[in-house]
Amino acid sequence: MRTVTRLTLAVVALVVTSTVAQAQTNNASITATASVQTPINVVGAQQLNFGNVFPGVNKAVAATDLANGGRFDVTGQGSTPVTLSFTLPATLSSGGNTMPIGSFSGVHALLNTQAGGLAFTPSAGATTNLSAGGLLFVWLGAQVQPATNQAAGTYTASVTMTVVY
Amino acid sequence: MKRESFILIAALLLGVPLLAQSRPLTVTGVRGLTFGAVLPGVPRIILRTDPANSGQFDIRGPNRKQVLLSFVLPAAMIGPGGALMPLSFRAGDAGYSQSQLIGSQVGFDPRQSFTATLSNNGRGSVFVGGRANPATNQRAGAYTATITLTVTVLP
Repeated sequence: MRTVTRLTLAVVALVVTSTVAQAQTNNASITATASVQTPINVVGAQQLNFGNVFPGVNKAVAATDLANGGRFDVTGQGSTPVTLSFTLPATLSSGGNTMPIGSFSGVHALLNTQAGGLAFTPSAGATTNLSAGGLLFVWLGAQVQPATNQAAGTYTASVTMTVVY
Repeated sequence: MKRESFILIAALLLGVPLLAQSRPLTVTGVRGLTFGAVLPGVPRIILRTDPANSGQFDIRGPNRKQVLLSFVLPAAMIGPGGALMPLSFRAGDAGYSQSQLIGSQVGFDPRQSFTATLSNNGRGSVFVGGRANPATNQRAGAYTATITLTVTVLP
């Protein structure tokens, strides 16, 4: 009887031990997915060109001037909103000489003919949508104000447009 | 002695069915974590409470038992040509629901192990959200990564 009792205890211990030893572990996986859309690309397509300027005579180029207005071409994900912002110069430079530039104006359109375009103020930026095909065209105009004693020369400055989704 | 050996063998054989009586632990990936359309330069956040886009795992195991939940989280998703898009997870991006309802979760940090208790009928669900952080020049295309949940029944 004592032998059977000892044996029973041993068996119970064995069963308990094997239960403890068999801790249950399991796992499963899921997939994280994303579809990255077309990145924005901006190209300075046409310079803002004031041509010949005479001392003391202001000269303006309208944003609607398809020949001389500055133009940026934007490509990206179709029908997606974008925000436009600009870094605008206060002057043009020629060596150590400067010439004031101001009164920037802008037009953005879905077609490069400017058809259906909307005017905006570049210093305030703009929010608009890319076309269904992912295109946007932006024109800039401005006015230069040469002094009466403006030194002759070629004056330049950079205008930067930043586009973000 | 013969009788004793018989008792021992019988008891050991009985031990197997005894173990089997405890419901086996199963973990099922029910729904993937879906970021959908992502724009370059624009982070996309999916909340664990998002019923359509959060990831979900269902757990089945012993009634009322404590389980340890551990994630293997990817640092990035892999896209076209091996392009990588960073993924990040923060405290509270995972949640456990004993009732398996997305609206009744207890939040936890998926970067750390978390102890949960299965329901009276041995069930529970884990939900997970996260953040996709595309670069401004992120290459367009489909990106994927694998999230693994390991569940261990605690003694």
